[in-house]
Amino acid sequence: MAAAALLELQEVQVEGRGAPRLAGVSLAIAAGERVALLGPSGAGKSTLLAVANGLLPPSSGALYWQGAAPARSRRARRRQQARIGTLWQDLRLIEELSVQQNLNAGRLAVWGWPRALLNLLLPLDTEANTAVLQRVDLTADLLCQPVSALSGGQRQRVAIARLLRQGPALLLADEPLASLDPRLAAALLQLLLAEGAAPRALLLSLHRPDLLAGFDRVLGLRAGRLLFDLPAASLSGPAGAAELAALYRGEQLDQDGDSLPAGPSVASAAASAVSATPWAGT
Amino acid sequence: MGRYLSVQAATSAGPQAAGRRRPRPAAPLLVLMPALVLLPLSLLLPGLLHGGGLELIGRFLLAALTPSLDPLLLGSLLSGLAVTLGMALLGWATSLVLGVLLGVASARVVWRTLLGQAWPAGLVRRLLAVPRAIHELLWGLLLLQLVGLQPVVAVVAIAIPFGALVARVVADLLDGLDRSRLEALQSAGSPAPAALLTALGPPLLPGLLSYCGYRLECALRSATLLGVFGLGGLGTELRLTLQSLEFRELWSGLWVLLAVMLLLESLLGALRRRWLMPRRLSLSAGGVGRRGREMVIVVLALLPLCLLVARALGVDPRGLLQGQGLQAFAGAGPLWPGPALLSLPWPALIGGTLSLTLLAAALAVGLPPLQLLLAGRSRAARALVRLSWALARLWPPPLTALLLLLLLQPGVVTAALALGLHNAGILGRLLDEGLSDGGAERQQALACAGAGPRLALLYGRYPAIARPYLAYGAYRADVILRESVVVGLVGATGLGSQLLESLSSFAWDQLLALVLAYVALTLLGEELSDRARRRLLSSS
Repeated sequence: MAAAALLELQEVQVEGRGAPRLAGVSLAIAAGERVALLGPSGAGKSTLLAVANGLLPPSSGALYWQGAAPARSRRARRRQQARIGTLWQDLRLIEELSVQQNLNAGRLAVWGWPRALLNLLLPLDTEANTAVLQRVDLTADLLCQPVSALSGGQRQRVAIARLLRQGPALLLADEPLASLDPRLAAALLQLLLAEGAAPRALLLSLHRPDLLAGFDRVLGLRAGRLLFDLPAASLSGPAGAAELAALYRGEQLDQDGDSLPAGPSVASAAASAVSATPWAGT
Repeated sequence: MGRYLSVQAATSAGPQAAGRRRPRPAAPLLVLMPALVLLPLSLLLPGLLHGGGLELIGRFLLAALTPSLDPLLLGSLLSGLAVTLGMALLGWATSLVLGVLLGVASARVVWRTLLGQAWPAGLVRRLLAVPRAIHELLWGLLLLQLVGLQPVVAVVAIAIPFGALVARVVADLLDGLDRSRLEALQSAGSPAPAALLTALGPPLLPGLLSYCGYRLECALRSATLLGVFGLGGLGTELRLTLQSLEFRELWSGLWVLLAVMLLLESLLGALRRRWLMPRRLSLSAGGVGRRGREMVIVVLALLPLCLLVARALGVDPRGLLQGQGLQAFAGAGPLWPGPALLSLPWPALIGGTLSLTLLAAALAVGLPPLQLLLAGRSRAARALVRLSWALARLWPPPLTALLLLLLLQPGVVTAALALGLHNAGILGRLLDEGLSDGGAERQQALACAGAGPRLALLYGRYPAIARPYLAYGAYRADVILRESVVVGLVGATGLGSQLLESLSSFAWDQLLALVLAYVALTLLGEELSDRARRRLLSSS
């Protein structure tokens, strides 16, 4: 028997003002799958992720985490939620605390009060924190710095490191690449794809279909409905181009870099952007 | 002052010296640390119980649910309330006029523009420190002794220290304003007074209005407090019912007061939002004109209202110039140090006052965040905490002190409890306001990662609020030092008790020395709390 999917949605409906924000979405993500969630703005990507991490209870339909419905008891439900790590678009780091305290905040679900309070006084778990920082290419000398002193790129990585400290089975990321310069976006994506490999899984929402390399599956969401659920490889052919065109129908394609890119070569665009912005990066 | 928190929360995160290894409590822990005072307190309290009074306290608590509805009583409560409201309004209005005038006179920018030098501002400022350092109760009792019981006493007692406080805030606001507009007007050749009014008047208005609203709340609290000490109004009724242990009648008065206080707070809050936060809709110029008209109408309506109230209460400033006390004072002979002064136990008095202040301040700052944390996500618990704050806020501390005397022995701890609980109510509301201004996302993120609701609150919300909250706490400690005279009637609490004693025995030389000691202590405390505040707000 196959292991239960890490995340499963069945006919999930979320009502909104007027039109539903999600209309009967069903999907399952198994361990080892790295899934991109694609769609124009307002398609319901953020709503879907909010349902997936338990922030937003669906109006109808069912949600399963590792095969189990969200528990009634708050304590058990918190344990379930601790296995789902969300990378928020605004990162939601605690600016006033040090990097080490922020990383340890990822452990709050399992820590009791004594350790949670002690963390505000003493550097705890330095080894584990150093290890996760190394995985995101940062060094341990950042540990005692306040988050407010970090650069934009460092913050992104610290946020991912906090996610890793949480020890989740499923990684969710809500448009983590928006508002990043191309080189930074590419590096961050590589990092997330590496961390989302088996036994974890990754669900990442995206605005841009040019960054799909490395994903296993792509979901197309439009107006609260799943338009397609395809292997990433099949989107690169002409059939895939038709699917993408349907997904973004009516969108201004050449408005800005956030929309569907008009140019053929993303790599060259990225390269020129890098040379134009020598200060970019971490 | 309520809005201070939100403004400063945004600017509190600054760079920090990197690489510091010394264990240093982080922001959320700092907020909780004052609550540690509860530990020694819980050890001390059992020793202070005198055994009696439990049954009385039980009756007092039960009476909250069954206040007396006797129409005769309600009638006298309402007329007492009218007197208190009238005194508050008149004292407040007078203090505003005084405060704005003196504030302008102690602003450096004004003197520099008019005369080219700023030293007169410093002089006025220093002179104003004295009336500010003396609590309105002290002014009230002093005037009471000098000119006898008259309605005007309470009004003047409120107006003097409040006027000096408003003056300080106005001067700080004026000196903190951007001066480029003033310089532009001056270089264009407009005369200095006109330039001052045009360039600094409008930007001063929002801060001034917000602070004035807050002072009106304070004035109502002070007028009630003065009543407790016999200056008339609802406070007097409350004290009489408490002393005759008529708890049901006491609660009728307290609920009436609570209703009025909450009404006033929400009215002022609504006005503040309506007048001071127009940015969302500021595209239409008509909005500004409407606001301006409304403000002018309200200010114009205040003047006849004040005159009417003054007439109804029989407030007559000429009364201040007569009275036997004044003659007694004049005939009291030499005021300057006699042997009686040296016989006062100064170290014990000052030590008592300082420990009372510190204990009360730690309670006031430490309790609200702890209470919110304990309440967690439960709506009912949070509503209960808020109600307890509202009650503590409006409740004059000497009444709490008298109530505590039913259970506890008189002394510093009892007085500190009374004062601390009262101020916790004020700080609690501020904390609540500060928390509702933002930070929900981080709390949400932590909760989504499986942290419990209390830990999510501690880690998500408290860090941003910590420094502005503690900075306000430092300011509050300074207020508490001044207020410590208020709970002097509990006995054995240092300067306050001694002062009330000297006052009732007409020992003028002692009284003068004690007031001077209070002034010196308050000025020192003000300096210390200013420094603590600056440090808290500048570094992170």
